[in-house]
Amino acid sequence: MIELREVSKLFGREHAVDGISLTVASGELCVLVGTSGCGKSTTLRMINRLIEHSAGQILIDGQQIRSFNGQVLRRRMGYAIQSTGLFPHWSVARNIGLVPRLLKWTPARIEERVTELMELLGLEPATFADKMPAQLSGGQAQRVGVARALAADPDILLMDEPFGALDPITRETLQDELLRLQSRLRKTIVFVTHDMDEALKLADRIVVMNQGRIVQQGTPQTLLHEPADEFVESLLGGADRGLKQAGLTRVATLMQPLDPAQAKAKADLPTVGVDDSLRLALSLMLWHRCESLMVTSEDGQPVGTLAFHDLLRTAP
Amino acid sequence: MKRQAGVMRIGVSSLWAWWVPLAWLVALLAMIQIMPDGEDIFRQIAPDNRSVIYRRDDFLTLVANHMAIVGVASLVAITAGVGAAVVVTRSWGRDFLPLVAQLASMGQTFPPVAVLALSVPMLGFGTEPTIMALVLYGLLPIVRNTLVGLQGIDADVLEAARGMGMSAIQILWQVELPLAFKVIVAGIRTSVTINIATAAIGSTIGAKTLGDPIIAGIINGNTAYILQGAILIALLALCVDSSFERFSRLL
Amino acid sequence: MSDAKQPANRVIIAMILLALPALHGLALTSVQPNRIVPGDAYRLMEIVGLGGALLLSLPFVAVLWLAWRPSEKRMRVIFVINIALLMALPWALALFCMSFVDADQPYARAGVGPGIWTLLFLLLLILIELRTRLQLSKGLQNMAAALVVGSLSLALISGWLEPLALAREYAGRREQFAAAVLYHLMLVGAAVALSLVIGFLLALLIRRLTRLQTPAFSVLSIIQTIPSLALFGLLLAPLAWLAARYPLLADLGVKGIGWAPALIALVGYSLLPMTRNTFVALEEVPPDVIESARGMGMSPWQVFSQVRLPLALPVLLEGIRITAIQAIGLAAVAALIGAGGLGTFIFQGLGQAAMDLVVLGALPILIMALIVDAGFSALAAYFRRGVVHD
Repeated sequence: MIELREVSKLFGREHAVDGISLTVASGELCVLVGTSGCGKSTTLRMINRLIEHSAGQILIDGQQIRSFNGQVLRRRMGYAIQSTGLFPHWSVARNIGLVPRLLKWTPARIEERVTELMELLGLEPATFADKMPAQLSGGQAQRVGVARALAADPDILLMDEPFGALDPITRETLQDELLRLQSRLRKTIVFVTHDMDEALKLADRIVVMNQGRIVQQGTPQTLLHEPADEFVESLLGGADRGLKQAGLTRVATLMQPLDPAQAKAKADLPTVGVDDSLRLALSLMLWHRCESLMVTSEDGQPVGTLAFHDLLRTAP
Repeated sequence: MKRQAGVMRIGVSSLWAWWVPLAWLVALLAMIQIMPDGEDIFRQIAPDNRSVIYRRDDFLTLVANHMAIVGVASLVAITAGVGAAVVVTRSWGRDFLPLVAQLASMGQTFPPVAVLALSVPMLGFGTEPTIMALVLYGLLPIVRNTLVGLQGIDADVLEAARGMGMSAIQILWQVELPLAFKVIVAGIRTSVTINIATAAIGSTIGAKTLGDPIIAGIINGNTAYILQGAILIALLALCVDSSFERFSRLL
Repeated sequence: MSDAKQPANRVIIAMILLALPALHGLALTSVQPNRIVPGDAYRLMEIVGLGGALLLSLPFVAVLWLAWRPSEKRMRVIFVINIALLMALPWALALFCMSFVDADQPYARAGVGPGIWTLLFLLLLILIELRTRLQLSKGLQNMAAALVVGSLSLALISGWLEPLALAREYAGRREQFAAAVLYHLMLVGAAVALSLVIGFLLALLIRRLTRLQTPAFSVLSIIQTIPSLALFGLLLAPLAWLAARYPLLADLGVKGIGWAPALIALVGYSLLPMTRNTFVALEEVPPDVIESARGMGMSPWQVFSQVRLPLALPVLLEGIRITAIQAIGLAAVAALIGAGGLGTFIFQGLGQAAMDLVVLGALPILIMALIVDAGFSALAAYFRRGVVHD
């Protein structure tokens, strides 16, 4: 668990971060969102003491971070940044094994861990272990960056716009993969981004920052329904909010169970997956010019229907 | 446009911006004037020598001669060097580009003294061979920098120039050379700096330069002579180099 | 291997068109009865007659023809001819010595004339051109170099080249030569090592004290601007004075003339490139790499030794390369102030108008510079490998 109590950071006389309080529960994926210069990166870097906070308290599992040696603290946390910061003179495997080596693990254990992580992140060890960072694509490099951050199995993972420099398709793949990893590993993650869509997609909780202060924090749904002010609203994209919310809701929540009597008649309807978003369902309706869709389970069996008027109901 | 404004500024308001080269120049002129009367001071340095002021030529002549040798060599080297680099970057001369580029970078690993020395068996002793050697060696940084400057120009700019209907000559004079000018000047600065130093050594192969007092001093064991030559060469080099430094800042 | 015909290689054609008149028109060799008397120059026709001259033109004409309609295969043939010509050159000289230099006259000597130097230069230019046009493997290039150097060494060992003036000069001062080479190397090595240590510390210092950056680099560039001869001269007076004042220093060899001013001046010159390259190399390591190194919990020393320094190494080596090459040349000038080394031969030769003695001094300096250049470039490339991928 990470706790920030009235934390401030002054650069000269400028308040980069101004008295923020925030609690990130264990296993929670907390996303800090805001425009550039809002203090979100500074906040992140204060947590692993790359920047020292000027006032207030930061606690990890109830202990002041100042009571730890900075290097020891950082070895306990994973850290991934936008430009990856991979060491260009080291191979992929050596890069991933960095923190375990700093922690003086045995070579055999490091090797085992590196292989495990590469497999976890979909990097074929035989192909990638000996490659140099310059030989990787952006997405591959970022996977290595995440693997390196996870290497010593830290409880806490700090990520500073890790997918910011990637093309949209790669970014989406890596976001999905982060969610998949998180559902397995349950790390405490603080994730910084300026992209609200990314925040809505990934976050258990979103913290919106502006000019060094926290403007609003809550679940993606809370933010969409009750934006605290115009700033949050504009970050959410104003009139686009309906679609964004639909993008967050699974088809399963609004579908009608299949009436076996009608199953035959509706067999030729376009289909949508039960785990797909309402946004996708709406798009399919618009595209096929129809008012209802067949909902199928993961194995392709029809399990329900979704009609246009279902979309207008509030989710239960 | 910017460059023209800069050149105009030299003449008018900010003469004081040139105070560094001016200070070196004043020091140089002062030394030329004062040193012949400095017998008492130089006597301290070389108490055992009969004469303590170099009088075979007066210092002004030596400075002028030194500058003339460097000037002629540099002019020839600039013309030939920039010309060669321009030729090998045209479409009809491009075959020679790899060779010239490699030669220019390889040649710079040759020490200037070795080039000067090796020119003697080919060209003989005297002022002209010294100038020839200076030209040969001085060519290299100029060719190299001109190539770097010309090749560093954004291809889009040239494409745009062609697209506007500029002729090849117009593109060269109005686009390529102005854009490469700064890098070319840097090459000329390197070339001139090396040439001033090498010209001094040229006095060992019979050119009349500021190296004369030093060589004479070494041969006769006269530290005063050596010091006089050394002071003048150092001031001359600093004056010229700081002028280049100032000039390239205006670009 | 594609055998498609390409347009004529104008570079090689131009070189051959220059080489043919040089072969026939310029004096290839000369014979002197002794060191001082000017010799008789010999042109190709005077050496081998008309028939021989035509025969010797054949390889050049062949290259001309091959370069007219070049293909990969033909370019390779040109390469082979070129290497063969370079290999044959020392033996041709040996033949010349045998037939034209009177073996009974111990002072008679054969000189290498402007013709041969020109031909050698043009052949090397063709080699450079071939190297860029043909993708020659490193092994093949090394083998070709080994063949040429081997052929030359064999000719030298055979003793048949003894009448060459250069060899005569060498024979007259075998030990001096070895000592001069060694001394030259030691002077350069000491200067580079000292300036590496000082430059490195200075670079570290001005990274800490940023206020010192501008003044430090100004002072270093002023030193660098002062011509070598002048700097040696300026150091001479104070050192002579010191030596007169403190006999202990004089006993240690510190005096106006000799290695002390030479070494001080060499280090002075070396400081600018060394400090600048070290500084730039350390500064230019990407900040995000350093950031992530710190973020992973590396200690400052680990960041420096495992990340910053290795990434800076190629640029640092480049600084050492520049410094070493510069020092090799400057050490030659230092001979003027009695520092010894190969420059001694150059200035002795110039003083006595003995050109071969000049060459005996200048040629090794040139070769040294080329070897150092190639060595450090290769080393820098080795450390850069992987980091920059192209």
